[in-house]
Amino acid sequence: MKGKGVIAQKKPEPTPWNIFLTLAKITFITIGGGYVIVPAIGNAFEKNGWIEEKEFFRIFAKAQVFPGPVALSTSFLAAYSIAGAKGCVAAVFGVVLPPFIALILVGLFISNFGQNEMFRRFLLGAGAVVPGLVGSMLYRAAKSRKWSIRAAVEVAVLAVILSLFPAYAFYVLLGGIALIYAERLVWKS
Amino acid sequence: MEILNVVLSFFKIGIIAFGGGWSVVGIIKQEVVPRWMDEQAFKSLIAIAQSTPGPIALNAATLVGWQKGGIIGAVSATLSVIAFPLLAMSLALAFAKRIPLRRDLADESLRSGSLAMILMTFWALMPFNSQLIVWLFAIAAFLLTAFTRINGAYVILGAGALNMISGILH
Repeated sequence: MKGKGVIAQKKPEPTPWNIFLTLAKITFITIGGGYVIVPAIGNAFEKNGWIEEKEFFRIFAKAQVFPGPVALSTSFLAAYSIAGAKGCVAAVFGVVLPPFIALILVGLFISNFGQNEMFRRFLLGAGAVVPGLVGSMLYRAAKSRKWSIRAAVEVAVLAVILSLFPAYAFYVLLGGIALIYAERLVWKS
Repeated sequence: MEILNVVLSFFKIGIIAFGGGWSVVGIIKQEVVPRWMDEQAFKSLIAIAQSTPGPIALNAATLVGWQKGGIIGAVSATLSVIAFPLLAMSLALAFAKRIPLRRDLADESLRSGSLAMILMTFWALMPFNSQLIVWLFAIAAFLLTAFTRINGAYVILGAGALNMISGILH
């Protein structure tokens, strides 16, 4: 028992391999997407004594300026501050590899049981709740924003253009975000 | 050729994937429906991507790649969706001091952009031509995840199990 206590207190060194292991343990078992994974990662890094909670959440905020899964960008930038470029490589593998393996297993399962009646029913039920989940994501995002008339106009104009030209959504969004940035830079409220 | 299209689509998706998983689902749908699958199959795919470990955009890429080109397709789609984000972050770390980006303004423009994206996703996934019972599933899921702290992934798994046993949706 005594020995166990000593082991539990020994903190892992911030080597790339340990960064990979810490991340992989989380991303292999955590379901629910980035906003569930990121706090778990912050917790683990802090427990290992690699980074302070405040610093981690500062990096999390910075990570959202970058595209891509927020779990990936946050781990990437946090690992850089812990272990430099090698840490970044470890972070990419730690975030990408475990879900990839899990998804290949799921893909194999679907290839074999996709026609199964019970599985078909499962997918139908699972798919039916997706619009509701998007709705609550929308509700939460809208509620947590500090709204101004300007912000409301930006969102409304972008949304209308997107619904008129869905085929060009990619360019509308890229151009739209750039224009909003420029507009806010030039015309201060 | 099919795999090349998957790679191009997910590379594009990686560039615009701001604001967390759900906001990018509308863009993913734009790329894959009806080209590679129908509406129903897409909803199931998203349900799987959200209720398996890992970020939703990454999981969706792996699954679509797997369906279109087996293991090679899965690897290439996954790598394409992270290619641009990794490049952007590496450049930013290398040249951080020389990029005159106003963080506060960038945050605000990205918030507007990702809200519009979630709106687009929401609209694209509405079950307009479905029976009342499908709406009830969606509304129940909304209430559960908007007003409690229940993880959406468990709502997906629960709804799947419920319909597996009862078969009310068909």
